[in-house]
Amino acid sequence: MLPCTGRIDEALLLKAFENGADGVMVVGCLEGDCHYISGNIRARARVKRVYAILEQIKIGPNRIRMYNLSAGEGSKFAAYANEFVDQIVELGPSPINLARGGGVQAAKEEETT
Amino acid sequence: MTGNLENSSTTVENPTGAVMVIGGGISGMQSSLDLANAGIKVYLVESSPAIGGKMAQLDKTFPTNDCSMCIVSPKLVEVGRHNNIELFTHSEVQDLSGDAGSFQANIYSHPRYVDVNLCTGCGLCELVCPVTEVSYFPELPAEGEKKKKLRAKEKRIVKGDGSVQPTSLHKWTFTVDEETCSKCGSCYRACLQGAIDWQKKSIAVIDQDKCTGCGACFIACPEKYQAITVTDAPDFGKSVGAAVHARSELLVKEFARDQDGGKNCIRCGLCVITCQKVMQIGALKMVEEGIEAGVDICQVCGACVSNCPVDFLNIDDVTNREPRPLLNAFNEGLNKRKPVNIFYPQAVPRVPVIDETSCVQLNSGACGTCASICGVGAIDYAPKEVETEIDIGSVIFSPGIEVFDARMRGEFGYGLYKNVVTSLEFERLLSASGPTSGTVSRPGDNKHPKKIAWIQCVGSRDHSCDRDYCSSVCCMYATKEAFIAREHDSSIEPTIFYIDMRSFGKNFDGYVTRAKENNVRYVRAMVSRIFEDPVTGDLELRYVDGSGNRQTEIFEMVVLSVGIQVPQQVKQLAGKLDIELDRYGFAVTDGYTPLATSRPGIFVSGAVNGPKDIPETVVEASAAAEAASAALAEARNSLITLETLPPERIPAPDDELRIGVFICHCGTNIASVVDVAAVTEYAKTLPGVVYAEHPLYTCSQDSQERMRDIIKEHRLNRVVTSACSPTTHEPLFQSTLQQAGLNKYFFDMANIRDQCSWVHPNEPELATEKSKRLTRMAVANATAGEALDELEFDVDSRLLIVGGGVAGMTAAVEAAKQGFGVYLVEKEAQLGGQLLNLQRNGDGKEFGSFLESVKETIEQDEKIRVFTSSEVVDQSGFVGSFESEIAMPTGATRTVKHGAILIATGAEEYRPEIYGLGEYDTVMSQTDFGAALESSEDKDWENLQVVMLQCAGSRDEDHLAYCSRVCCNHAVKNGLRLKELYPGVRVDILYRDMRCYGLGEEDYREARRAGVNFIRFDPEENPPEIKTEESGIEINITDPSVRLPVRLKPDLLVLSTGMVPRDTEELASMLRVPRNDGGFFIEAHAKLRPVDLPSEGLFMAGTAHGPKNSSETIAQAQAAVARVTTLLSQERLKMSGIVSVVDPTNCAVCLTCVRACPYGVPFINDQHTAEINPALCQGCGICVAECPAKTISIGRFEDRNIRAKIESYTAS
Repeated sequence: MLPCTGRIDEALLLKAFENGADGVMVVGCLEGDCHYISGNIRARARVKRVYAILEQIKIGPNRIRMYNLSAGEGSKFAAYANEFVDQIVELGPSPINLARGGGVQAAKEEETT
Repeated sequence: MTGNLENSSTTVENPTGAVMVIGGGISGMQSSLDLANAGIKVYLVESSPAIGGKMAQLDKTFPTNDCSMCIVSPKLVEVGRHNNIELFTHSEVQDLSGDAGSFQANIYSHPRYVDVNLCTGCGLCELVCPVTEVSYFPELPAEGEKKKKLRAKEKRIVKGDGSVQPTSLHKWTFTVDEETCSKCGSCYRACLQGAIDWQKKSIAVIDQDKCTGCGACFIACPEKYQAITVTDAPDFGKSVGAAVHARSELLVKEFARDQDGGKNCIRCGLCVITCQKVMQIGALKMVEEGIEAGVDICQVCGACVSNCPVDFLNIDDVTNREPRPLLNAFNEGLNKRKPVNIFYPQAVPRVPVIDETSCVQLNSGACGTCASICGVGAIDYAPKEVETEIDIGSVIFSPGIEVFDARMRGEFGYGLYKNVVTSLEFERLLSASGPTSGTVSRPGDNKHPKKIAWIQCVGSRDHSCDRDYCSSVCCMYATKEAFIAREHDSSIEPTIFYIDMRSFGKNFDGYVTRAKENNVRYVRAMVSRIFEDPVTGDLELRYVDGSGNRQTEIFEMVVLSVGIQVPQQVKQLAGKLDIELDRYGFAVTDGYTPLATSRPGIFVSGAVNGPKDIPETVVEASAAAEAASAALAEARNSLITLETLPPERIPAPDDELRIGVFICHCGTNIASVVDVAAVTEYAKTLPGVVYAEHPLYTCSQDSQERMRDIIKEHRLNRVVTSACSPTTHEPLFQSTLQQAGLNKYFFDMANIRDQCSWVHPNEPELATEKSKRLTRMAVANATAGEALDELEFDVDSRLLIVGGGVAGMTAAVEAAKQGFGVYLVEKEAQLGGQLLNLQRNGDGKEFGSFLESVKETIEQDEKIRVFTSSEVVDQSGFVGSFESEIAMPTGATRTVKHGAILIATGAEEYRPEIYGLGEYDTVMSQTDFGAALESSEDKDWENLQVVMLQCAGSRDEDHLAYCSRVCCNHAVKNGLRLKELYPGVRVDILYRDMRCYGLGEEDYREARRAGVNFIRFDPEENPPEIKTEESGIEINITDPSVRLPVRLKPDLLVLSTGMVPRDTEELASMLRVPRNDGGFFIEAHAKLRPVDLPSEGLFMAGTAHGPKNSSETIAQAQAAVARVTTLLSQERLKMSGIVSVVDPTNCAVCLTCVRACPYGVPFINDQHTAEINPALCQGCGICVAECPAKTISIGRFEDRNIRAKIESYTAS
């Protein structure tokens, strides 16, 4: 849990992959409705940068995704989580985990504001 | 009358800065907290053994399905631990003398027989108490006489199907004391095992090899010799009762392992020993064939049955009298309790009371087991009645309500048919801490019912039993119970039989819609009778359906939606206090002073002030606190003691880590899915963890006290709880840390309820694994935690009110009384808001004169500064220290400083372009019509025909999706007034559901009696066909009451168009406060913080929150002022320690933070480095992430915290 998705930065997101996450989901407020005005917009930009890095280093860009939700959308959150997990299961373990000899572990970090 | 606004402001010289609150339900608790947090001493008097009231009995709450106990528990704890709230539970107000500002009250506290200060709430007394029934106690011997031995005339042998299998497991050792043995041979004759060797005139000897330890010899040895000594009996030193319990417990474990043990007597002798040596009755005796019961001398206490380790004995076997089970009142009598009983598991205070009617010790002097076992010596059987004299300035009367006695509606068979229950009983059946642990089963046979019917209006809207009013809450709670029942068991098919669906509150209609989507069936019909099938226990309901056909339908269980009523003892108490009640027992108040009773200085709140739900009760509770303290403002802080925290232990950097972990059961909320014991064991293996345990409710008062002790005892320097949501519970746990001398940021919390047990109920193993993982991450984060300082700053005691309608005006007057300066900003040229367009309030009193008097008060009050034709255009600052810019009609702006903001922007009548509204003079809105009614111009209305159309633009997706709450009452009022002025008129009201909630039902009834005709329509199945043209109006509709088409040609069509909030889009975005789809502001918590906005220091009142009438608005305005007062009465406030800090060493002055901060807080100081004002920092952490030099840090969310979590996520 973070005060705002605006607190997360690229290094921390990459740290999650380094530590064996097969996918990272960043969940912030709806755009235009950020509790801290614009933190989620900054987070979106950082997620985009990490996306590019993941592509470059051949881990696969689709292993990170940002979602936007309001606090009252529990069922939507569940749907997003299932959708993302399915996507990661399909991609299989991240190359980092494969290289380490780990099995499929559809890991996800949930960062909500 | 202009209300007693002046009345309550009458200044008393030297008022007493204390308030007595009567009733410890949610109302009394909220009043107490608001008062105590504003510097007023509180004496809270509650008649039951613990605070919590009805809300503690509920399972979930509508319309959010929040768990009632989970949201009320923090309040219980806060009240219980508040320095300035003195609790008097199990107590009554004896009398009250004096006058407003200076009352004296006498409080009588019933004997509890348990010392509140010594008791730890461990519950051992309740566990060992063997009594389960209300006994028929033998007569006590007269003074000086010896107790006579009871001799049975009627005896019965109790034996099982199989043969007796004597056991010698965990046997006590019996030996004959040679010194005291009288050589009588009684033991020899009693022994059934031939284990005693005795000859005349010689001392008996027990052969230990043959002895099975049944104790027959011990029983038989005459009382005067007591020559049999007992050894090897655990707890025998405490009392025989304690020893019996201990052996019984051991045997229960043995025979649970060996299932065959079951129904056969094992001749342990515990029943006989209990009856003779503990209860001193001696009705049982062991004989060759089985157990001989003296059925006529048995006192039917149930002790032999509860001590039987193999469930062999039944109470009916041992007596010929009717057992009188001691029922658990908290569980609505659905299960039994012990005479010594803790009211409910989360009770505050968690201290038992011994019941005088059933406790054996108190009645016959026998037993005494509980006192013998109590480790702290808290139990004392001598009655201690305490009377306390208190001095107070005001009184708040909020004793609450009870539910209607459903026996009065004999046709439903309640009390006769076991599977007919009340809604409150059903609430306990749903509750995880209830008698069935949350399993929906019917009381008759514990079968899981599939078809369940709810019958509405049982004891409401019913003239036959003098309950003419609507209870206001039943439609919603029935919907909730049906909803939740299906959540517990999706095969349940609920049906709700109702008259009108009165879902009139905020977001209520949406809740009913969701229930319908979730297969809750609604049938608009009144059930006439219920018949029980005596074989199956099923119930046949008879009713007439919408087409007029008689129907019979079988259900497996029926829930009666019982109304609420004022209990008899509350009426008596009101008599003592000399306050006026109406004929139902509800307090009589004025619409303009909705909390003031007939006696000055006594205020009323909650359902005793008319039926209402929880949020409205909380609003009234805060409002009553405000009303009660307004006249005491000068005595604020005179009688309170300030909390002193122990000095913080500052751990040295090289201190070893000592982490304590608490894994919460949350009743069954978590523990029914997650294996909490396994998570606890796992937590113990984590690095740094030196202590772990799993309390039933970590947040309960006793657990919190325990946590405090454990922190000290184990010298913990980090604490982790794995429980529920940090949003609701983190502050509680953190304050416990502070009380134990630990910095509150040495804490982390894993939410294993929402994120594990709730979302993965069907995968308990995975949920347990996830709980371990979340706990591990929390432990890692706590390890990386550091002590943070909290900034203190001054509070500006002025209040900014946006909106000068009745809410804003009331708030201004009240805030000034509380001693605060007020800036009242109104967009229009004059104060008054929507009231300027309305005529009369619910009591029939004119608004005009009321408005004038309030305006005058405002004008004369130096503390209030009014800005008309003005708007707030800019706002900055933070709680306690805001700054706003007000644009004035001159074009100039003025900057004002203030500590809090109250939004009271109000609402106006909706004006849709439908049915010719605004086009023809013959079509008008309800407000237009009200004005026309009261206007003095000549009207030829003697034979007028009027049709009123309800929900014209409300509850309609194309217009207003919500119910506007006030329209039904408004139409009824206008209809009645029209009939009063022009008796010859014809009025037809076309409606969907008449939502005349509460006492409004009386007017509805009156209108029907006066000849107002009501025709129900359904927008889908039976919509009215309305043609409005220049030539006239024609309406065609089928009247369902006669099932015939009706054609109406009214002279006037009056539309009840509902209410829309004023345009607040800019204001909302400026203040960053959320609004719902309808444009109403969203409260911080729908149930318990109804006037707080989610941002600190911001509050709201009136129709900006949701549709409501004028007296509800006034109450809400007073409530908001109460909340404001808790803030503005503080001289200084503490800020969160979670703020960004720049380390200037590495700052390159790149301005990234200056640009990144959405609040414009960072600036470059004269040292030429970036600086962040901690009071302005909102703690989002955006700058921390952006800073290229990584020289900004934010407590609790440092890189090292987040890294610790990420790293511990995968590490196992």
